[in-house]
Amino acid sequence: MRAMTNAKRIGVVSFLFALAAAPLVIAQVAYSQRAKEIGTHLKCMCRGCDMSAGLCAHPGGSFSGPCDTAKTMLKEVDAHLAKGESQQQIIDAFVVEYGSTVYVEPPKKGFGLVAWLMPIAFSVVGFALLIFIVRKWAIRPASTVALAGAGGAAPSDALERARAQAARETED
Amino acid sequence: MDVFGSFTLLLAFVCAVYAFVGGIFAIITRHPLLVKSTRQSGIAACVLIFIATFSVEYLLFSDNFSQAYVVSHSNRDLSTFYKVAALWAGQEGSLLFWSFLLSIYVISVLIAYRNKNGELMPYVGVILAGVQIFFLTLNNFVENPFKTLTIVNAAGVLEPFTRQDGNGLNPLLQYPEMVIHPPNLYSGYTGFTIPFAFALAALLARYPGEKWIHLTRKWTMIAWCFQSVGILLGAHWAYAVLGWGGYWGWDPVENASLLPWLTGTAFLHSVMMQEKRGMMKVWNVWLVFCTFLLCILGTFLTRSGVVSSVHAFANSHIGPWFVGFLGLTILVCFAAYLKNRDYLKSENQLDSLISRESSFLFNNLLFLLATVAVLSGTLFPVFSEWFATRQSVGALYFNKVMIPIGLAILFLTGIGPLLAWRKTSADSLKRNFGWPLIFGLLTGVACFFVGYKDGGSLLCLSLCGFVFWTIVMEFYRGSKVIAARTGMGLMMAAHELAMRNTRRYGGYVVHFGMVLVFIGLAGSAFNTEAQKTMNIGDSMKLGPYNLVLQSADTKAEKNYTAQRMIVEVLKDNKQIMMLYPEKRQFQGTEQAAGTMVAIYSTLREDLYVVYAGMDPDLNVPVVHAFLNPLVKWIWLGGVWVVMGTLLALMPNRRVALGVATVPETSASAVTQALAPGVTLREGHD
Repeated sequence: MRAMTNAKRIGVVSFLFALAAAPLVIAQVAYSQRAKEIGTHLKCMCRGCDMSAGLCAHPGGSFSGPCDTAKTMLKEVDAHLAKGESQQQIIDAFVVEYGSTVYVEPPKKGFGLVAWLMPIAFSVVGFALLIFIVRKWAIRPASTVALAGAGGAAPSDALERARAQAARETED
Repeated sequence: MDVFGSFTLLLAFVCAVYAFVGGIFAIITRHPLLVKSTRQSGIAACVLIFIATFSVEYLLFSDNFSQAYVVSHSNRDLSTFYKVAALWAGQEGSLLFWSFLLSIYVISVLIAYRNKNGELMPYVGVILAGVQIFFLTLNNFVENPFKTLTIVNAAGVLEPFTRQDGNGLNPLLQYPEMVIHPPNLYSGYTGFTIPFAFALAALLARYPGEKWIHLTRKWTMIAWCFQSVGILLGAHWAYAVLGWGGYWGWDPVENASLLPWLTGTAFLHSVMMQEKRGMMKVWNVWLVFCTFLLCILGTFLTRSGVVSSVHAFANSHIGPWFVGFLGLTILVCFAAYLKNRDYLKSENQLDSLISRESSFLFNNLLFLLATVAVLSGTLFPVFSEWFATRQSVGALYFNKVMIPIGLAILFLTGIGPLLAWRKTSADSLKRNFGWPLIFGLLTGVACFFVGYKDGGSLLCLSLCGFVFWTIVMEFYRGSKVIAARTGMGLMMAAHELAMRNTRRYGGYVVHFGMVLVFIGLAGSAFNTEAQKTMNIGDSMKLGPYNLVLQSADTKAEKNYTAQRMIVEVLKDNKQIMMLYPEKRQFQGTEQAAGTMVAIYSTLREDLYVVYAGMDPDLNVPVVHAFLNPLVKWIWLGGVWVVMGTLLALMPNRRVALGVATVPETSASAVTQALAPGVTLREGHD
């Protein structure tokens, strides 16, 4: 709860700051820098590009830079910001409006969580398999190990070098 | 010409079917004449595909606007280069181009090995013909490029119809890289068919010896090189033409091209385990199979529109064909594996966790993780639709997942080559890793003070320093030995060293190229941008640069209207250069605009200026500028990757020592020939 108030406060402060700064920096842009930041977490819904509303450059359009859809979305963000809503509240409002396609990345709840758990699951399974394989393969008569030691006693050292030589010479 | 082309395409199909069916009989009966005739039929199919492809080009160049394909992808004003490239601008042409490139590979293999590998080649021929049949089926019966335009006349009868002019080429595709990026990427995709054919053939034929693995490896390297270049050119194209300041957006089609590259890379590493130690044979065969399957999947994703993508110009409904072919290929692979899996019996033994072998295991684990992560992320929107509402998976997700994996791979790039086969002693670890570690740390510290203050990027840059130094040490040690023995200078000795073991040192050069690429990727954390409505004489500051708008006008060109501006770039109040960004409005197309980005590129950063267009409300030009640090390193890295691969493909220079084949038992005598006191690790590459 407290975190949310903080977020809210930051949101309002940055919005006010952005409002104050915007006319000085980029005179004609109709939305704030903060809106653009939040816009990077929202997908541009024009369906022509695969970019976020905040970073939409709309390739191939008559105007590169945020397209009309993205601009409308950013203005909408500003409207939400003016009501003092937090980033999360704004994103949630957009999800209500457009559905979960508006997320630029899957949310860490519901079915979206699966997307985040997948790579973790793959890593766990992968490493487990690797450990299993290493253990399975590590059975080997001791004598061979002694012979194959690198940088150890002189004879095996010489053998290493000879093997290096032989390997290089016989390569295709 | 269209009837002729259509006929050759059909004849090619017949020849390929004969090469396939006759080839199977040839394998069963072992009749030498049948073997020869099916091989020649395979060659004929390739030649016929060449002719059909040239027919399409002829139709494009002769502005034959009675042809549906020519009307859709060309017009009279289109310049020569883009008329060539119009072949792969659309669905039908792209698929024919797939067949065309595949045929170049197939004909090379069939002719080059006609008197070699006698037991293996009939199988290879059959498999290649099988793949060709699939694509020729699409070319002939599903997406035929030789369709004529028709119109229903007053009597209600269909009759041929000729248009005055065509629709022209999609403006997004009218960029020089259109001419080289798709051929490279397609050469990569199709090229992986050859290793697949050799691997499957060896498995089916139970082909004795390791010869096939050398062949497979060589052809994988060729395809891999094309794939790498294709991916990088695609990234460069996106960077230079789309005008959003980035080069990689984790678009499904980009991901599709990355997938076979990842498994191909994994194979190029793990194949050494098989060559040197006879290990991982099953794994390697499956890596080759998967790489080929991912190529088909990639073509499917690009061509079917299952996942939405910026490459939307490639959409269609040939999905089921690809799914069918994928399924069939998987079945054949499984059947071959189950039937002959005892052929792949490996001598899997591991002496120590700190060894070259285990570093390859980790390498493969990471590359496979990367593959599975990219694949599942790309397909997640489709899956999510089955279970819940459709979810988008964008660049943010992929960056979060892939950056750790990428960094781990980079770390391993430094460690792996320094570990000896079988077992590495603690002593040699200290000797080999001390300096690179120190150098890596120093790189990180230096980058921090230069201003690259981002955790992930600093880690990446430090690792780049670490890997770079390990590569330098490898070259230095080897060259020192040769210099001492032959009295050459160190640079000459390094050259001699690389020529004596091209695969190993070519591999290091590729690693060096990848280090450069990673340096470039690390820069992306510091990208900045600004957009401003500017009148003539107005200026805009971005990083150390000051941009002053000198002029803005409109000029009519042959098939587009250009909105141009001249931007003067100042640094410390001194003029650096003039930039000429453009916005092109093409005639006669729906998606009518293209961007010509102006880039002032240095090793430190790219100043990337886009003419965003006229502000719709104020009717004043808008400049969108990006400052992208270190991007140039990525393209430089690509050049090194190609040079390294070419080096690795060259045959080794023989050394006149007279010890070409030495049994290990008499090894100590050989060591006398080497400089005393110098320890070389076992030959690896």
